[in-house]
Amino acid sequence: MILWAMPDSGDRTKEDYAALVELFKKENPSIDVSVRVFTRNVLWRRIFTIKHPTHEEEVPDLIQIPHYWTALLVREGVAENLSQLDPGLSLANCLVPLKPHCYQPGTKDIYSYPWWFDLSALHYRADHLKLVTAKPEHDLATWEGLLNVCQALREQFKDTPGYYPMQNSDWRGSLSMRNALPCIWGRGGDLLSADLGTTLVGTKAFKDGIRDYVNLALKNYMPILRERGSLGTVISGKASILISRKQGVSSLNAHRGIRLRTLPVPTTGTTYYSYLSGMNLFINKLSQEKKNALKFIKFCARPENQLRYAAMIDAFPAFEDAFEQFIFSSSQRLQTYSNILASARTLPNITITGTIMEILKRILAVCATQIVEERFTQASLDRELDLAAKEIEYLLSIYQG
Amino acid sequence: MFDKKSYTLYKFHKQLNQSFQNKRELLECALPALRNLFRLDRVYFFDWQQERALLSLKMMCKKEYCMDMQEDISVLNEPVFLKQLLQDGLAETTDLSYPAIYVLVRWERPSVELKAGEIHNFMQDKVGVLRLERFRKNRVFSNEEKELIKALGEEISHNLRNTEIDQAKNQRLNISTALNDLSTIFASSLRLNDGLELILKGVQRYFRFDRVRLYLTDAEGSKIKSVLGVDISGKVTQQDGKTLPQGEENLLKEVFDSAAAYRSTRSVIYIPLKVQRNKVGFLAFDNILSRRRIGYMDFISLQQFASQMALSIDNARLFERVQELSNYDELTKLPVRRYFNEKFAEEIYRSKRFDLTLSLIIMDIDWFKQINDGYGHQIGDWALKEVSRVIRTSLRQTDVPCRFGGDEMVIMLPRTNGEEAKIIAKRLKDRIGAITLPERYTEGKEVHLSISQGISSFPFDGTTPDVLLEKADKALYVVKQNGRGSFAVYREVAEQVA
Repeated sequence: MILWAMPDSGDRTKEDYAALVELFKKENPSIDVSVRVFTRNVLWRRIFTIKHPTHEEEVPDLIQIPHYWTALLVREGVAENLSQLDPGLSLANCLVPLKPHCYQPGTKDIYSYPWWFDLSALHYRADHLKLVTAKPEHDLATWEGLLNVCQALREQFKDTPGYYPMQNSDWRGSLSMRNALPCIWGRGGDLLSADLGTTLVGTKAFKDGIRDYVNLALKNYMPILRERGSLGTVISGKASILISRKQGVSSLNAHRGIRLRTLPVPTTGTTYYSYLSGMNLFINKLSQEKKNALKFIKFCARPENQLRYAAMIDAFPAFEDAFEQFIFSSSQRLQTYSNILASARTLPNITITGTIMEILKRILAVCATQIVEERFTQASLDRELDLAAKEIEYLLSIYQG
Repeated sequence: MFDKKSYTLYKFHKQLNQSFQNKRELLECALPALRNLFRLDRVYFFDWQQERALLSLKMMCKKEYCMDMQEDISVLNEPVFLKQLLQDGLAETTDLSYPAIYVLVRWERPSVELKAGEIHNFMQDKVGVLRLERFRKNRVFSNEEKELIKALGEEISHNLRNTEIDQAKNQRLNISTALNDLSTIFASSLRLNDGLELILKGVQRYFRFDRVRLYLTDAEGSKIKSVLGVDISGKVTQQDGKTLPQGEENLLKEVFDSAAAYRSTRSVIYIPLKVQRNKVGFLAFDNILSRRRIGYMDFISLQQFASQMALSIDNARLFERVQELSNYDELTKLPVRRYFNEKFAEEIYRSKRFDLTLSLIIMDIDWFKQINDGYGHQIGDWALKEVSRVIRTSLRQTDVPCRFGGDEMVIMLPRTNGEEAKIIAKRLKDRIGAITLPERYTEGKEVHLSISQGISSFPFDGTTPDVLLEKADKALYVVKQNGRGSFAVYREVAEQVA
């Protein structure tokens, strides 16, 4: 059986999956599981071609996807109907915000199964922040406050070469849509209207939200398009704040005794928002090993494996029993993350969500290059967003009409 | 004397001396080999994007495996580093706290572009960069190692070139085989729509487009309408016949004046279907959902295919036109007897299967022989044309008229009983009765045409084509016996026939 996974724990992913597969193999010695790890970009391209594999291409049996791709895969006809494969399969124990992303929209047919999820939050070095503020919780509550703290940190560490107040948590070292979402939501903006019938990408609230996030790079508070790990990292002391998912943060905590504290992402408006990113597993319709793949999915959903893998990759279990066990095991964790979870939002599970994110990702990539080349203007970003809005309206007319 | 450098090069060369399907496969072999040779902790491969001065990470090798990776590093503000890398082929980074070197890899890959409407094949210079890291023991790279790494970089360059040439050749071969298969299938389908469905599904499958849509011109070549489409799930759908995609009013001119039109950052391409100057239609291929760009290689294959497809559509249309002509009588423009018999048999079958009614009218023009003899055949032909024009314009879409022979005509009326057939017969009688022969041929006399009609109905008068024709003919005979210019239903005059 071939599993296509995503780099859940960066370059450690293979080892983490290998540990899980070893346990699975103890129970199912006759089932071999080969894990291939692909970045989101590569996987995005591949899910459009797995339906018509050439004779040189391998056919995966099980594929890990971001939660909001389910509707697309159903529409494309590549995802197996898990409810048909096992009528007893249930989402009763799954955390509520993750459930809608497992179904074919408008039905109760399960096409993908939750694996794990994560939440975006602000993490800061307590030792650094105490040099510039006595009340970090207060000062980091708003986006404006964050920018002020960044300015103060820049002053404080002006003699540290390669120092940036914020570490860039984007994998590509670029501007990431995932990190921009809480800013957009805080401004009252969103990708789509509540009825999912029209896009809000061209609205003022959306543009203001993107601008809030881009400001971090424009004001040079966060490095972009730089060698990862070369500068501006919390671990090396060349950065003090990090807005990212939980992943990797506890490993920083353990490193050289650095103490990181966690807060909600500062709001750009009046309400906190956090981005909840879930990961699901689906079975390829062309798979010859659907039953084995389903066995693996059920194995992953068991509380002990949910807890085990979540701990390995530093994320959250997707099912209630494991999640409660995880969150109640530490009072600090409970206190920190219960508020953040309450303010968490997901992306809608419709056919074109992935495409919208691709369009916006490209706009931010262009933006990043323009900032580095010192030719960025807000007008050009606004123009790009207006064009994107038209493109998304066209997509809505084709796929949601 | 043992030359370590040559031996290492030889060993490396042997490891890479195999056929790779693509660049990825080659790197999956080369990067672990480098890692083992130099006891590296990690090796990375980047694509160099010259126009953006960006190193774009593609793959990382750690321990025994490789992984796709993603990271963009701008070297715009690093002129010294960049200059050294481009000039010496090797540069050492000072940003990291452990030893790491960058090695330039240059190769050529086959490429294609369109210049002034002409296809232009050329070898494109490509540049990649290897990053080699040792962070565990902080062992610096010796000068000897650096020299060797540069030499191995050249070996990788050489292999990248060969692999990309092989890949391009295979790709072209696969595509031309696929297109040849599709063209053969299409050429052998005489029914245009069947062929088009097959072809659109095939193109979507081979090229893996999200959607394919076909627009064709109408018979006069003046309007263009969407005809067929294949959606993301592979389902073929009949299109709504809309003239053009919304907001694409200028598209037609652009498509037909050039080789193709691109939209949505090259994820949509429109390719014209033309036979010489004749506009047949166009094909729209899109990856609008996946946002994958449609490359020049695909474009060129599609263009070659489109020219064959245009010719095939043109031929198929011609075939349909010829078939249409052979089914119709040239003088009256009514279907001929052979065509009518086929349709009549089909309709009788349907009426039996679904328990439907059906009626038949047989008619002829009264005193037609006298008209021919008295005023000439030219006037006889004129009368036939006028009568058939009235028939064509007085019937429903579902009715099938036919010139049965001479001045005899038959009309099949599906889902019509005897009473309803009488209404149609009356209408024909009145409208044809209003036709007068041109006075210049009748010496100023007003001569009106008239017809006699016999009607039979399924299932009351018969359940086979022959019996229904016979009964309608008998009813016609009765009408003629009773003075012509009227109509009768068989079962109402059956006693007179007996």
